Amino acid sequence: MSEPLLQVKHLATEFQTEQGLARALDDISFEVNAGETLGIVGESGCGKSVTSLSIMRLLPKPAGNIVQGEVIFDGQDLVQLPADDMHNIRGNRIAMIFQEPMTALNPVYRIGRQLGETLALHNPKMSKSDIRDASIRMLERVGIPAPERRLKEYPHQLSGGMRQRVMIAIALLCNPEILIADEPTTALDVTIQAQILQLLKDLQQETGMAIIFITHDLGVIAELCDRVLVMYGGRIIEQADINTLFDKPGHPYTRGLLKAIPRLDQPPKEELSTIRGMVPSLFDFPPGCRFQNRCDFVQERCRQETPELETYNDGQQVRCFRFRELVNE
Amino acid sequence: MTQYFIRRLLLIVPTFIGITVLVFVITRFVPGGPIERMIAEVQQASMQAGGSMQSAGSGVGAATLDEDQIRELEKYYGFDKPVLVSYWEWLLKVVQFDLGTSSRYSEPVWDTIKERLPVSAFYGIVTMLITYFISIPLGYYKAVKHNSHFDHASSVVVFIGYAIPSYVVGIILLVVFASNLEWFPMGGFYGDEFEDMESIWQQIGDIFYHAALPLLAYVAGSFAVMTFMMKNALMDNLAADYVRTAIAKGIPFRQAITRHAMRNSLIPIATHFGNNISVIIGGSFLIEKIFNIDGLGLLGYESIVERDYPIVLGVLVISAILQLLGNILSDICVAVVDPRVQFR
Ligand SMILES: Nc1ncnc2c1ncn2[C@@H]1O[C@H](COP(=O)(O)OP(=O)(O)OP(=O)(O)O)[C@@H](O)[C@H]1O
Ligand SMILES: [Mg+2]
Repeated sequence: MSEPLLQVKHLATEFQTEQGLARALDDISFEVNAGETLGIVGESGCGKSVTSLSIMRLLPKPAGNIVQGEVIFDGQDLVQLPADDMHNIRGNRIAMIFQEPMTALNPVYRIGRQLGETLALHNPKMSKSDIRDASIRMLERVGIPAPERRLKEYPHQLSGGMRQRVMIAIALLCNPEILIADEPTTALDVTIQAQILQLLKDLQQETGMAIIFITHDLGVIAELCDRVLVMYGGRIIEQADINTLFDKPGHPYTRGLLKAIPRLDQPPKEELSTIRGMVPSLFDFPPGCRFQNRCDFVQERCRQETPELETYNDGQQVRCFRFRELVNE
Repeated sequence: MTQYFIRRLLLIVPTFIGITVLVFVITRFVPGGPIERMIAEVQQASMQAGGSMQSAGSGVGAATLDEDQIRELEKYYGFDKPVLVSYWEWLLKVVQFDLGTSSRYSEPVWDTIKERLPVSAFYGIVTMLITYFISIPLGYYKAVKHNSHFDHASSVVVFIGYAIPSYVVGIILLVVFASNLEWFPMGGFYGDEFEDMESIWQQIGDIFYHAALPLLAYVAGSFAVMTFMMKNALMDNLAADYVRTAIAKGIPFRQAITRHAMRNSLIPIATHFGNNISVIIGGSFLIEKIFNIDGLGLLGYESIVERDYPIVLGVLVISAILQLLGNILSDICVAVVDPRVQFR
């Protein structure tokens, strides 16, 4: 098998806060292969965004710092890379789109300028008219009608869905090898959401780029992803391909998430199951397994030792002492 | 947009009338008006004269103005008619650029103002330029270096400048640099030799030599607000999503600030711009008084004290128009820097 496109190894990220150092990511390791879609799922605050920001080295400075680990891309460790080399990678070879299309574009510049800026930055030799043509073609590809006219408009003149399309257009201008999408559809209504997901799928078919898709919606994961990471409290607690995850979820937390999805074969108006309890704050996690106080299968051992992320059949990785017992139930 | 500004320009008319009616009526009813003043002056003069003439044996009470004279004066000042009628007459003259005649200097009000306006405008505009020139880069630097030693140290200086009233700054500067050290002149807009200077450069140099201390006093009072406005706006924008987008595009951090965050941070500064203009051209009578500058602020103040109503009203006309135009100018500035602003 060929080398993975991106390898994240034992990544740990900390924030300086009023209450001291908060470890937002702990021992995060995963790989992204060329052309695949990796989903990252988990509750709010579990570290999905921090993971993507760490890869892109976009952590808010000076509070956020990568304290350990490597991010290997194209044979180099992005964590150690000089700032100038990182500028050449961002927006060019690894691109990113964000959750809030309403605020992600600069309100005072025209769409054309915001597209052209990226192209000019990574292709200094490109002429003005080439940049314009490429921008128009890109807007067409992301399904924006009348692109010539849109170039002259300001962000506030576009709807949320259109703005997210513009963001996608900006991200794809330089044909990135990896697109990181951090909840790109959460702020949009459902029909627009479906359109954007379809657009990402189509564009991936065309370009062969890999996508890291972050969401808290397992339904979106099912539609889009090849492989899934489940995060909890800054750690990966399960990693599996999409079929394995939905057929035989390994971690009690993953099972909880799956049960919480409404299904058509359920009798209507029945109460949805939820995972009991709340996610503790980063400072209040107990020693041992971080999920222990919400887990139905908790044992004494879970309170004392931290389980490792173990690999089982089909490459499924689970961070749970009781995986083997539970999986056969 | 053009329509909006035409409407705004038309709105100046009723606002202007409102302001001037108010002040006009007040001048009528405030005690110590020009006629009472004149009566008092005549009385005083006759008391002194009477004192020296007492030996000659003439009466004391004889020297007030008689009824006819008072009526004549009332007519001269237009006090014999109802307020609104004389306001209307005044307004008709103003529309023809006739602001009346000063009761103190007996010369046309417009001439007096015309003499003072450039002085105040010079101080106002130079102060504004210096203020922007200091505040924008300083605010920028403080935002980028937030929480650094430089940030804290400059905050102390800025706050001191903010806390001390500018006339106190003026007095301190005057005492230290003009009176004790004698580096700068004690006051005035230019020196005695100004008329005889050969080149215009020498003259400009002389004006700035005289202007150095008052300008410092003006700037000390005004740059604190602007600096903090700039810093806070830039800090807010640095944390904005679109700056993160810019960096995710591959733009280096510095350029993301100068190309993206700066433009947005100038919006509040632009909003402020028009407000500054009227305050600034009007001048501060205290600073003008301290440095003995014949500006509009001092003129207005003295005319109020002396009940020289034609001048009071003339200064009011000028500053009201400046204020109203300043507001519109503000709106234009905002519309220029912020495409989201749509005037209808
Ligand atoms: N700037 C910051 N300063 C301090 N702590 C932070 C900062 N940003 C994130 N964190 C902490 O890091 C943890 C992970 O946050 P993150 O934003 O990655 O969550 P998320 O999984 O993306 O959640 P969501 O679904 O709400 O986007 C949270 O506990 C959060 O409190
Ligand atoms: Mg997030």
